[in-house]
Amino acid sequence: MTVFWSAFGGGVMGTLVMTTMLRAAAELGYTRMDLAFLLGTAVTDNRRKAKALGYLFHFLLGIGFALLYGAFFAAIGRSSWWLGALVAVVQALFTATVLVNVLLPVVHPRMGTPETAANEIPLIEPPGFLMLNYGRNTFVITLLAHIAYGAIVGWAIRL
Amino acid sequence: MRIDRYAPIEDYALIGDGRTAALVARDGSVDWLCLPNFDSPAVFAALLDVERGGAFALQPAIPFETEQRYLPETNVLETVFITSTGRARIVDALTLPNGGLEPMRELARSIEGVSGVVPMRWRFAPRFDYGRAAPRWERRGVTIVATCDNEAVALSIWGAGEATPVEDGWQATFDVRAGDRGLLAMSTAYAEPLIASPRHDVESRLARTIEFWRRWAGDRPYDGPWQTAVRRSALALKLLIFAASGASVAAPSTSLPESIGGSRNWDYRFCWIRDSNFLIDALLELGCYDEAKSLFWWFMHATALTEPDLHVLYRLDGSPGVAERDLSLAGYRGSRPVRVGNSAFHQLQLDIYGALFETAWLYSKGHHSLDRDTGVVLARIAGRVCDIWRCPDSGIWEVRNGPFHFTHSKAMCWAALDRAIHLAGRGELPSADVPRWRREADAIVEFVETRCWSESLKSYTRVAGSGDVDASLLMLPTIRFRNDDRVAATVDAVNRSLREGDFVYRYRAEDGVPGSEGCFLNCSFWLVSALARTGRVGEATELMERLVGRANHVGLYAEEVDPSTGAFLGNFPQALVHLALIEAAVAVARRS
Repeated sequence: MTVFWSAFGGGVMGTLVMTTMLRAAAELGYTRMDLAFLLGTAVTDNRRKAKALGYLFHFLLGIGFALLYGAFFAAIGRSSWWLGALVAVVQALFTATVLVNVLLPVVHPRMGTPETAANEIPLIEPPGFLMLNYGRNTFVITLLAHIAYGAIVGWAIRL
Repeated sequence: MRIDRYAPIEDYALIGDGRTAALVARDGSVDWLCLPNFDSPAVFAALLDVERGGAFALQPAIPFETEQRYLPETNVLETVFITSTGRARIVDALTLPNGGLEPMRELARSIEGVSGVVPMRWRFAPRFDYGRAAPRWERRGVTIVATCDNEAVALSIWGAGEATPVEDGWQATFDVRAGDRGLLAMSTAYAEPLIASPRHDVESRLARTIEFWRRWAGDRPYDGPWQTAVRRSALALKLLIFAASGASVAAPSTSLPESIGGSRNWDYRFCWIRDSNFLIDALLELGCYDEAKSLFWWFMHATALTEPDLHVLYRLDGSPGVAERDLSLAGYRGSRPVRVGNSAFHQLQLDIYGALFETAWLYSKGHHSLDRDTGVVLARIAGRVCDIWRCPDSGIWEVRNGPFHFTHSKAMCWAALDRAIHLAGRGELPSADVPRWRREADAIVEFVETRCWSESLKSYTRVAGSGDVDASLLMLPTIRFRNDDRVAATVDAVNRSLREGDFVYRYRAEDGVPGSEGCFLNCSFWLVSALARTGRVGEATELMERLVGRANHVGLYAEEVDPSTGAFLGNFPQALVHLALIEAAVAVARRS
């Protein structure tokens, strides 16, 4: 139970920091990526509702991933902030190259894909490789935010 | 026919699938196609270099004449070849996906014998990266495959001769008798394996593509005058919208010259903010509410990185990389340089702020409410307009010898603040800064009325204090700029000073770019609209009738026309011209 609750707490804290970093980067003009918006518009085209739902969904994802981190650290028998950061680098790479770039457009009903043609009218442009369609700094920011998340989760988990 | 092996620009027709587009010449040669998207490098670029660009020709092997048209209410092209021995018909389309396992992009060319026997030939010579990379060839059954790095194109051949290799590709000759049916299908792949579709799948996609376009065109409820021209323009504009993001290209080509042999050759495969203003207006007018919403969402998303500052143009997918560079291609009839990218990206063009707010206003009026976050962003941008409207800029025509205080730019800044005030009045924008917006809007009017009016010309001037006029001033009635008498007098002055026959020059001043240019066709349609809006409906109607007759054989327009010969110049087909045509038709209809 210690692992579970420490991972849960780490997930909440890590996601809070990651979400804040991503939002701040967008407000400061470094990226057009808005994860809450992207996630929320999967269920509604109302922009405000989408953002609220998106933040909720992002927190749930953050906690879910933290529990996976906990399970992984319990399996290898060690945990630390730098190990968390290292796993987060892998997660960021997966997110930017596969999860958001390939999988999200496939399941997102309002997002375009490279196959979208004239007989469809999506509302959201696809993120592209390394999410570069949303600004050239997007991947770097995503990577840094994930490293911060992973370090916090890794630091918080008690085996 | 061809001059120096180049087809006249007006001899082309456009086919597309909402992701990319191909230019097909009247003689059956596909001379321009970028893959996988509009702004990707070309695999067929004979348009810009007949030797090295690559093309896909399909035509009779004996002398012929052609009749080319779109299948009614579609973007699918039919070319009938008439020879001394018979007639053959080809149907060209970039097919739309059906939802199954399909090629990433597909060009289908179906061949049918109509009468007699027609000896036909085709020559398939793709190049990669604008002709800079030669393909590696393979033969796999009925399919020829050309690959280069992570790209591949494959040509499947059914009933269209036995392919033999030649120096730059593959070719075949074959006879088509009445009732014969052949099919050539070019499928493409980018960073994924090729999909080899059987013949009936390609034919099924082609049939469904025709069906889709007919349904789409049938859903456009326009019933005003010049229906054929307006509906063709709508179909052409739909082809220029990049479906994945909702953005639209200004034109699907690059570097078609503004004068033959000249250097005014630009890449238009980007989305200009001002074009999207006109496009949303036209889409709403034609009942394309979903497309308008998609474009507006793209618009707000694309500008999120730079707001409250706006860029002049954006890439279709929002990614970076619009730097201008020259390609080592020969250029259309020797017109060099051939450019990709567009350095107008770096310019300050104040009119785009007016375009943005006009777009938001039209979108809001079109039964779409703006959400609060969008309203907050727009309010910030309105504040930015207050900060910068006093700056000189490069203007709507993107002059390269500026900046100047363009009258049109100032008027568009006024339009931005005026629409912001109206939007705030509807509760769509925060209203805290309305007093400032009103103050600055009044200051702009004061500037225009005192520094941009010439008593001797009886007209607003091109730039503050100048002694000439500019066709962009024809937009003043459209944006409902204040002083009706002066606006009407300005329309007169532009009509007198810049008109040549049915056409209108942009201006007669230097613009920092060497060489000459033709008349911009959008200016002619703007004149129609301005005449109608200032009460001269009869004159507007007559001019419109003549301009509609200036379209090419399939109803499309290039950016410019040579007023002495009527030949098309510049990139083709140009969205702004078709948008201006729709706007002009609606303006005349509303005042008739």
